[in-house]
Amino acid sequence: MITNMMIQSILPQLIIAFGLVLSMLLIAWQRSQRMIQFLTLIIFIIALVANVPIFTIDAIQVTSLLKVDSYSAFTFMLIGLSGVVVTLLSGKYLRTQTEVHDEYYLLLQLVILGASILVVSDHFASLFLGFELLSIALVGLVGYIREDKYSVETGFKYLILSATASSFMLLGIAFIYSQTGDLSFVYHTGLVSGDLPQASVVLLVGSLLFFIGIAFKLSLVPFHFWTPDVYQGSSTPVTMILATISKVAMFTVLMKYWFSWLSYSEAGLFDHDIFMKLLSIIAMLSMVFGNSLALMQTNIKRLLGYSSIAHMGYILIILMVTSSQSINFAWQSALFYLAAYVLASLSIFTVLIVYSSQNSLAINKSSSTDDDITISDWNGLFWRNKTLACLVILSVLSLAGIPLTMGFIGKFYLLTVATQGELWWLIGALIIGSGIGLFYYLRIIFALFNTETSESSVSENNWKIELPVTNHLFIVVLAVVGLFFGIFPDMVTRLIGSL
Amino acid sequence: MMLTIVMLGLLAAGGLAWYFESVKAQSARWISLFSVLGLATFFAVSIISSGSDYSQLNVLVRVPWISAFNIEYALAIDYLSIILMSLTFFLALICILVSWQEIQTKAGFYYFNLLAAIAGIIGVFCAVDLFLFFFFWEVMLLPMTAIIAIWGHEKRHFAAIKFFIFTQVSSLLMLVAIIAMAYLHYDQTGLISFFYQDWLLLDIPLDMARYLMFGFFIAFAVKLPSVPVHSWLPDAHTQAPTAGSVLLAGVLLKTGAYGLIRFVIFLFPEASQEFAPIAMTLGVVSILYGAKMAFAQQDSKRLVAYSSISHMGFVMLALFAFNTLAYQGAVITLVAHGISSAALFALAGMIYNRIHSRNLKDMGGFWHSAPRMGGFALAFAGAAFGLPGLANFVGEFLSLAGAFQIAPVFVIFAAFGLIGSAIYGMMLFQTSFQGPPTTVVNDLSSRELLIVGSLFILLVFFGLYPNAVLQYVQGVQL
Repeated sequence: MITNMMIQSILPQLIIAFGLVLSMLLIAWQRSQRMIQFLTLIIFIIALVANVPIFTIDAIQVTSLLKVDSYSAFTFMLIGLSGVVVTLLSGKYLRTQTEVHDEYYLLLQLVILGASILVVSDHFASLFLGFELLSIALVGLVGYIREDKYSVETGFKYLILSATASSFMLLGIAFIYSQTGDLSFVYHTGLVSGDLPQASVVLLVGSLLFFIGIAFKLSLVPFHFWTPDVYQGSSTPVTMILATISKVAMFTVLMKYWFSWLSYSEAGLFDHDIFMKLLSIIAMLSMVFGNSLALMQTNIKRLLGYSSIAHMGYILIILMVTSSQSINFAWQSALFYLAAYVLASLSIFTVLIVYSSQNSLAINKSSSTDDDITISDWNGLFWRNKTLACLVILSVLSLAGIPLTMGFIGKFYLLTVATQGELWWLIGALIIGSGIGLFYYLRIIFALFNTETSESSVSENNWKIELPVTNHLFIVVLAVVGLFFGIFPDMVTRLIGSL
Repeated sequence: MMLTIVMLGLLAAGGLAWYFESVKAQSARWISLFSVLGLATFFAVSIISSGSDYSQLNVLVRVPWISAFNIEYALAIDYLSIILMSLTFFLALICILVSWQEIQTKAGFYYFNLLAAIAGIIGVFCAVDLFLFFFFWEVMLLPMTAIIAIWGHEKRHFAAIKFFIFTQVSSLLMLVAIIAMAYLHYDQTGLISFFYQDWLLLDIPLDMARYLMFGFFIAFAVKLPSVPVHSWLPDAHTQAPTAGSVLLAGVLLKTGAYGLIRFVIFLFPEASQEFAPIAMTLGVVSILYGAKMAFAQQDSKRLVAYSSISHMGFVMLALFAFNTLAYQGAVITLVAHGISSAALFALAGMIYNRIHSRNLKDMGGFWHSAPRMGGFALAFAGAAFGLPGLANFVGEFLSLAGAFQIAPVFVIFAAFGLIGSAIYGMMLFQTSFQGPPTTVVNDLSSRELLIVGSLFILLVFFGLYPNAVLQYVQGVQL
């Protein structure tokens, strides 16, 4: 029985789905890049507005497929906001190409739809639906700019690895189903009959395979090999989607699955210990390898790719929660960390996009193509444009977890979870990882202040970067939001705490 | 409230200096100078006029900050923090005067960083919510790193990264210990708290206290610095601009000692007692190793940097002796070393401005052309090796005398450090000021005379009348 309440709680998803149809009608009627961009923006904003009331409602089961709660509302907010930012910046990016890019925005809406289904899914079927919607639309986006020298390689790489991930995941789901006889996360049948499945190897292997599918998307070591290439090869707004929307949605669904699983694990569903150990090994490897591999990178997008590996390793600490009492706190920590991570990523990719669009206007810049921005391209950026550089500094510090930024509070949450769980090995890996990480984060920051090489290579009139007012405003807003929540995180923690 | 105004005032003055430098060149230094002077006066006046007794921690502000963790914006001061803050203000003025001519590029941003670093340091000395303490601890780091990385010498990026990573990694260990303490408080009272005075009431089981103390100890030992985690210091000091070195040696190292006193010894008395032999060994090794390494340097700033390691070894030794006399010696040493190392770095900077080299081989015979500078150099070298009549002597004497009652063997070895310091101190003076004159240098300008003169007067003052500091740290029970 579908009630009004249920409709209301999945309204954001419905709005986006409806918006997709509208967008296609718009394309049939008139092909205009501006209009479709505007429409996409409107759809996302309406969906975000419809999302607001969901913060206050209790968890509500919408059929056996979906379960909407305030946590998923929060992650949907992150996804929607990222969507808005991506839409705004895509216009800037696509303007430098010649065609009309309606399909791009359709794919973008599909990605958001997939992500928003993922975060509310409560059943393997809906999970897989969201997963595939997200992946397939992303494959289209990753290889979207056909003239780009990397597009074929990147597109194929992402396609093949997504397909592999999906098949692993499907196999895992099949294994789990063979043991539990239920595809929903919470084992309704088992609960009703009181007949919980027995612990078995098949179940363990099934869970592992399922986890591997998600680990591919989160680019955890050892499933990370696609990350740097795809990050570098896709156009920057798409990299932004990969770094934010895709990661947030995947991690949220993993948590949803994991924490509902956790409540039954005490009943001995499967050997919990082995799985936990594997998880912590993967987390530690991701922290250390992600950071070490980023050390020698010069291309900023590649570097961010590696650093995202490390960040996903950090956040995996959340899953190590063993008692069902601390699940609430684990959710809060994860949400805060994700929010900090998303904001920092959005900020730094925004700078990348704005910088490269500014750069392509100044034609006589030959050292790099549009998308291949290396650290040395940013030499002396602080003296060329303070606003851009300040946003870079803020987001890099946030990624590195230095106080004054949200990233620090996020790391504080993680350390708190780890200390409560007495996960000393993971804490050690986190500290070592952050230590290594500082090295390349500082390299970026120091480059911004570097005056030696860049002044001579760029002619005098290109030296200062003048931004259009809208860009300027946008960047200032991002910086102010980041700084404000970094110094007064209370507003976010209260919101998260009340969920 | 007063301290908040001081810190915000410093930040605001930094912002103003940054802005006005682009309007009118050379205005940043005047703005910085007057605002620091003004705020220092404000600080002094409000401390004196408040008339309260600061022998115990006086909580000045306590407002909620991050309610999810019961984190507060809490500031408190006692005499120890007042002494160190006064030192900070004084050296801040010296730093501005030292940078007067030296910093010509991006001066506005430079003064902003300088003042922000000072604001952070003031915060460190008065924060009593441990989260807030950690916050300031990191905040003072950022502008300091920027000063090294932007206005430093040839290998500045390497030095800045090394400095940052050493401090950051060690302070993450401290952060873990802080969180663990907060949850220990939760286990015992049912309430999370980061408030220092709440922690003092806790009953910490010894086996846990060992680990927690170690987390704090590492962070402060890196800042102090103590062998074997000292290696950032020679690089950072050498590569930093003069004011950066002055600030680093004069105040930043003192935050490490301050942390040891407040958060290691007072929070974990038993565990610290147990750890004392190791800490004292580290102290003695630092003293001897620092002196030996200082002797081997060709770079004048590097030499002074290693001598700092040696002097901070005395502080470590004295603090872990758990003796009131030694404790007083440690506090005097902090003040004295702050002044004398600042003086030596300022002199090294003045020489560098004249001959554009820090290499001792390029120096020699400066006495002929710059006798006033030579006189001061001799006095400061004398202070560094503990010449009676200057403040360092009092500090080192009290430290050794106090520690001798507890651990005579350690002190016997530590006393060799005094001989070592005399050797490197005289070497520094002789190679640069005596011998056949190589180049003609200008003697001190009146601004430089003001800098070294005021430093010298303070050294003599505290050397002859150490009670000016001692009377405030007498009643401390260890």
